[in-house]
Amino acid sequence: MSVPAPPAGAAPPGPALQVEQLTKHFGGVNAVTDCSFAAPRHRVTGLIGPNGAGKSTAIDCISGFKRPDAGMVLFGDRAITGLPPHRIARLGLVRTFQTPREWPQLTVMENLILSRYQPRREGLWRGMLRGGHVADQAELAQVREVLDQFGLLGLRNERAGNLSGGQKRLVEFARIRIAEPELVILDEPMGGVNPVLGERMAAAIETLVAHGAAVVLVEHNLPFIERVTQHVVVMAHGAVIAAGPFEAIRSDRAVIDAYLGTQRTDDA
Amino acid sequence: MSQYLVSVLTEGSIFTVMALGLNVIWGWGGDFDLAFYGYVALGAYMTLVLTIGRAVPPAEFILGLQLPYPLAVLLGALAAGLMGLVVGLIALRHLRGIYFSIVTLGAVYVLYVLAGQYVPLFDGYNGVSGLFDPMGSTFGLTYQTYQYFFLGLCIAVAVVVFLLLERLSGSRFGLALRSTREDERATAAFGRNIYWLKLRGYVLGAVVGGLAGGLFAGYLTAFNPSAWSPIETIVVYASILVGGKGNGRGVVLGVFLIAVLLQESTRFLPQVPNNPELVLALREMVIGLVLIAFIRLRPQGLLPERRHLDREGGPGTGGPPPLGAGASHAAPQVGSAEPDAS
Repeated sequence: MSVPAPPAGAAPPGPALQVEQLTKHFGGVNAVTDCSFAAPRHRVTGLIGPNGAGKSTAIDCISGFKRPDAGMVLFGDRAITGLPPHRIARLGLVRTFQTPREWPQLTVMENLILSRYQPRREGLWRGMLRGGHVADQAELAQVREVLDQFGLLGLRNERAGNLSGGQKRLVEFARIRIAEPELVILDEPMGGVNPVLGERMAAAIETLVAHGAAVVLVEHNLPFIERVTQHVVVMAHGAVIAAGPFEAIRSDRAVIDAYLGTQRTDDA
Repeated sequence: MSQYLVSVLTEGSIFTVMALGLNVIWGWGGDFDLAFYGYVALGAYMTLVLTIGRAVPPAEFILGLQLPYPLAVLLGALAAGLMGLVVGLIALRHLRGIYFSIVTLGAVYVLYVLAGQYVPLFDGYNGVSGLFDPMGSTFGLTYQTYQYFFLGLCIAVAVVVFLLLERLSGSRFGLALRSTREDERATAAFGRNIYWLKLRGYVLGAVVGGLAGGLFAGYLTAFNPSAWSPIETIVVYASILVGGKGNGRGVVLGVFLIAVLLQESTRFLPQVPNNPELVLALREMVIGLVLIAFIRLRPQGLLPERRHLDREGGPGTGGPPPLGAGASHAAPQVGSAEPDAS
């Protein structure tokens, strides 16, 4: 499927993310082949598919953690294909991972403070000669406010590694709020989380959207996808096989086959 | 006795500088660097060949200048930093954990073999010698007063290095470098170039190691390949581990417990007839046992890494009770960094 190219220099913004014919092989395995989709701004786009469909590899390629073999990734109107992950993150694309990746020995507060990259204040000479203010009062106030929103204020001095799985997920959402990205890619945020917390996770995602971010949500939990996404992209065998609203996807023959028919057991 | 005490304290101060440098690489960055003693050695060699003048045959070595001692020490530290840059550029790019250690071990052996075998460099196994009482004549010091002067110099350098690194430890740079130790994929995902971040920390550690080497050269008056056996690095690692990895004060404490107290106390053990090596072997065994005990029972060390505590706003706190107002210069904005009592 081809997506029309954004008009050059046009005022109306195109999609937040546009992926075109992304391809990645591992040896003889075609993890992702000609994968194309777009994620609109200020919306939650679900990315679903059976195990081994290539979802994780695709988002690794988009976020720079793997280099795609072919294809193009447009973030806004900027090509970010093959850039290293920190460059992509600085442009405003932040991702999470299947397991929470907090900095365990740092406190929750330190985790949040570090989530906003501040090149001017992170130099070695500056740190050694002028000493350390890791955050000014305004930043601290904002961090506390965000922690409070996620119900984590009381844990702010705790080492992040001591939190429960669900709390770590909330810390990740709080970090993303502090980073203020334009696009967030969430890799299975419900993985390992008590389903009771589903509403809290959904609310957290809505908070991100309310603050101006577009969200791409990779998730196996289909009721959760139905609950939070406006638009769903389905992958199987490395390619996009369907895209559209969840209701339309639900009755799509190819999707049903992918999930129930030719099942594969290998993980992506 | 007082002469003995002065020499022990001098050695302790030099080891403190060494351990503080390694703490940046291992304590903050989390990289188990086996090349570290190479930076100390290079700093010592360079300081010697920059101060003692032309080589008198049959001795031969490079440079052979007669620069002032402080300048030579700084240039030696710079040379160590350059070597750290080369090793870091190679080893930090993709390698972590044991693979990083293997490459750094290889690097230090290249330097070791080169220094030992390639005679025109540092006179091979004879090594370089002849740095007597640097700066002594400038200040008109006698043999007796000189050792106090040199002790003061070593303590002053250790204090300055400690203060600068404590500041850096509490800064955003220090925090960011620690985050690479904790989970570097997350560090990259939030916009930081982990290679560049780690490389800067690594070179800084190498420079501090070279600085310690320059002081060591002044203390030993000479340096040769037999002066840097691998066991020296283990003593520095043991000091950091026991004192508290990542905590500057802990590192100082650890150096005085392990590198000074434990090492020196074995000096007073009775000599065993027919077996003069036994006491030395015993010392190394004790260090090994202490290492194992701490890794098993208290891996965070006596003084665990400090964290920035936020005491304002909201009653809730999961952390330890706030202590008195942080008097530390390292006390950063989020309250102050304090040892974790857990």
